[in-house]
Amino acid sequence: MFTSVMIYFAIAAPGFLALSNIANVLEQSAILGVLSFGMTIVFIGGGSDVVTGGIDLSLANNLGLSAAVYSTLVRSGYSDAVALPLTLLTGLAVGSVNAFAVVGLNMLPLLATLTVMNICAGFELVLTQNTVVQATSPLLSAIADTGPFGVPNLAYFILFLAALLIFGIEHTPFGLRLYAVGAYRQAARAAGLRINRYLIATYLLSGLCGGIAATLSVALLSGSSTGSGEMLLPVVFAALLGVVFSRRLVPSISGTLLSVLFIGFLINGFQLTNVSSYWVNGVEGVLILLVVAATSLSRRGQS
Amino acid sequence: MRYVTNEQRRRRTLFKPTPWAVVSWLIRSLPLSSLPATVQQARHLRLSLLRYSIAAALFVVFVFLALAAPGFFTASNLLNVLVNNFAILAIVSLGMTLVICSGGIDLSVGTAIDISSLVFVSLVAAKWDLRAALVAGCVGAAAVGAFNAFLIAPLRITPFLATLGTLFIGQSVQQLASNGGQPIYLVTGAIPGDFTFVGRGSFFGIPFPLVLDAVGAVVLFLLLQRSPYGRYILALGVQPGVARYSGVRVQRVSALVYILSAIGCGVAGIILSSTVKAYVPLSGNAYLLDSIGATFIGTTLHVEGRPSVQGTLVGVLLLSVVTNGLLLIGWNFYWQQVGTGVLIFLVLAASFIGRRLRIR
Repeated sequence: MFTSVMIYFAIAAPGFLALSNIANVLEQSAILGVLSFGMTIVFIGGGSDVVTGGIDLSLANNLGLSAAVYSTLVRSGYSDAVALPLTLLTGLAVGSVNAFAVVGLNMLPLLATLTVMNICAGFELVLTQNTVVQATSPLLSAIADTGPFGVPNLAYFILFLAALLIFGIEHTPFGLRLYAVGAYRQAARAAGLRINRYLIATYLLSGLCGGIAATLSVALLSGSSTGSGEMLLPVVFAALLGVVFSRRLVPSISGTLLSVLFIGFLINGFQLTNVSSYWVNGVEGVLILLVVAATSLSRRGQS
Repeated sequence: MRYVTNEQRRRRTLFKPTPWAVVSWLIRSLPLSSLPATVQQARHLRLSLLRYSIAAALFVVFVFLALAAPGFFTASNLLNVLVNNFAILAIVSLGMTLVICSGGIDLSVGTAIDISSLVFVSLVAAKWDLRAALVAGCVGAAAVGAFNAFLIAPLRITPFLATLGTLFIGQSVQQLASNGGQPIYLVTGAIPGDFTFVGRGSFFGIPFPLVLDAVGAVVLFLLLQRSPYGRYILALGVQPGVARYSGVRVQRVSALVYILSAIGCGVAGIILSSTVKAYVPLSGNAYLLDSIGATFIGTTLHVEGRPSVQGTLVGVLLLSVVTNGLLLIGWNFYWQQVGTGVLIFLVLAASFIGRRLRIR
């Protein structure tokens, strides 16, 4: 599926497989990728039931709030050494509110993160007064710059973070236990795992991903942006599509990475072949439906 | 020989001086017969109080706003709240309740609203007969619902993903149809006389959208609680496997649910465009999260936490009252969103704590 789309675009658009283009795609997908990793972690730990399963709807507005924090701090003259930790701390704070609501208050993740999302959006509006806050600083310029081989630093960063998370989630005991908690909570509890700690960890990690993505976003856009809430659906979409792309049909970081790249290459390919951008959403929707339908039908054929 | 009587054992195990036990002991010692007389009755009272916390919160919010905000408790403002904030959200939330009762979720309600609005406004602009345009709008929304139903029932795609896909495709369709987000405005001279009746007319003095709300709520309640189809839908939501083995036509029931919800959103879209006399692309998305929130707020009213018509209506009322009230108190517009979010958070927290105590 993935390869067929790649091949189609490689044939249809001249510059598709050039290193610069691939690097460009990686750079554009970096923010989506980091957020989707956070969402995937919550999916892994929370279970895949639609209504009661783990989900973090507040990620997009977490990004918005943290970006607003970063931009406002930099604009007020604070240095990066102050602004960066505070931004990450904001992301962690949002994650901890989520964790408290889901684990401490026993709320449904869907509802808890929905409310936190609205609260984040509100705080972000308060901070930015619904304007774009410009911000430049040495660190931001460095992030948005290009590194070795003319490849943007963001591309390296997303690959590095992906590698780190893939190792941490899929090749460590912690990750294995996280999967156990998500797959069958009662069994994991019976086996002696501290469920609550793992759940708290998932929400804190996703909050942190929100903070990291905010830093990248501020670097890429030289400031905060007002439309960050729209990123929610693509993030959920990418994380869910990652289930399809993973080998075992469970949420996984590598699957999510593939799905984020897939979306990125799709959009990029459309741009290169001069297809109107209005079709992009539709084709995304159709493709995901095809992929999911094919997967579920084939899976039913097996079982 | 020292021995322990059963009386002494009983006394020792029952005496737990938790604060609530102390309070309930105090209450019990009052000479009032209607208050709880045993520990069980006290616990029952506590659970009922927490269960009705949403309704209580609504009452408290209402009273607070009536006292704190000067223009809140006037008839014109209350009517304004009902028509503007409540009406459309109520219809959408009723549709969402139906879908969640059946065990799924519908993320594409905004799409149904927008597609019906698009069809309706385009046809009116093309000088179609008003009633035909109304029906066509509903048919458009039903088409969205049928698309969802096709994905969910025969193809067995999980509802979350299926409706997410519909949402994306719908966004694309709207962008294409509106040339990138251009609203379609209806010139005043081109509007047929009855056009704004749906949004702003009244029916024996009651605003028409509210009439539609009431009809929709009654119909949905009767459907869910008093008809066999409603039984099948609820069974599907609670225990899908058992429902299937019991002979419920799972595919037909799910398909029906999504189509009905979409038709409801179609009506909402028609009300919306009738009120603003235009079609604004992608304006339906704002209703998605609020309708989900209202439905889940409503689940706290039910004993076992299931969605219900009355619960959803209370939830929508809470949301619209809070939005309106914060506006009137004069909070900065951006702090209003924070305030609404925090309030809903607290209300949900109270109800979920109540549920946990109930399980224990």
